[in-house]
Amino acid sequence: MTTTTIPTQLPFQDAFARKVVTHLNKAADDLPRDISERLKVARSQALAKRRVIAAVVANEVAVSGNTLILNGGSDRQGLWGWLGSVLPLVALVAGLMAIAVIQDDLRANELAAVDSELLTDELPPAAYTDPGFLQFLRSNYAER
Amino acid sequence: MATDVELSDFLKSVEKRAFKRSVYHVRNDEAALDIVQDSMMKLAEHYGHKSIEELPMLFQRILSNCTLDWFRRQKTQRALFSNLSDFQTAGDDNDFDLLETLNASGNSDQNESAENLTERAQTLREIETEILELPARQREAFLMRYWEEMDVAETAAAMGCSQGSVKTHCSRAVHALSQALKAKGIQL
Repeated sequence: MTTTTIPTQLPFQDAFARKVVTHLNKAADDLPRDISERLKVARSQALAKRRVIAAVVANEVAVSGNTLILNGGSDRQGLWGWLGSVLPLVALVAGLMAIAVIQDDLRANELAAVDSELLTDELPPAAYTDPGFLQFLRSNYAER
Repeated sequence: MATDVELSDFLKSVEKRAFKRSVYHVRNDEAALDIVQDSMMKLAEHYGHKSIEELPMLFQRILSNCTLDWFRRQKTQRALFSNLSDFQTAGDDNDFDLLETLNASGNSDQNESAENLTERAQTLREIETEILELPARQREAFLMRYWEEMDVAETAAAMGCSQGSVKTHCSRAVHALSQALKAKGIQL
């Protein structure tokens, strides 16, 4: 007659596993010295890396925190941030205004130069309103 | 967030078991050391801000992934290159040398008799051999569940499978181990 082993399987499984684990723990504790040392070095390297990253992350979090609570306005980082965004805009407007003034000056100077050329020429400007002179010019061009 | 001391203590508490587990999987001390170091670095780098309670699960997951990555890299490397050493025989890992065992035992257990030490070392060697013989998933489930003392749900989460699969793997692993050790006349 066969007896079922299902109810007793789980306690047996756990007990057996615990015994195996006891031996494995012993094996882990008795690792060679060089392996233990290399694990120790690996651990300290990991911790060192974590410290470096923690410092960087802390800085980033602080900046983002300030950005989120910028409504205070009294914070130095916030003021600089505000200035940083407004100053380029002011510079752009000032630059456009300066360009407009310079362009007006250049245009006025060009017109003045043309006027002065006309006024100081041997032929007075009123000559162009004379129909006889215009006829003379046309006939000269036709001959050429 | 875990403090540096807490993280250090945690890593110290798991590093040896992690190394042995990796050795059971990859069967190479150097590769196992690399895997454990990678896992520690990744834990510190990506999860250093987590609380100390979350670290064990995260570390087990990272260790499993690093081990898988190692196998993938090996597969790629083998597909591209062939080493002359691959054509050699597997070596004499299975040879049991009594003198080596006695030497490895060291002087820490001087109170125990030489017979006990030898017997225990031999038992451990046989257990390790049988653990190496287990299918990878059974071995992983068994070691996580019983050595790392994770519950079924945690083991399932770390292995990326169902709780039922974990129970099945563990049960089969225990059965295989007990049968194999019994066949060798080892009574735990």
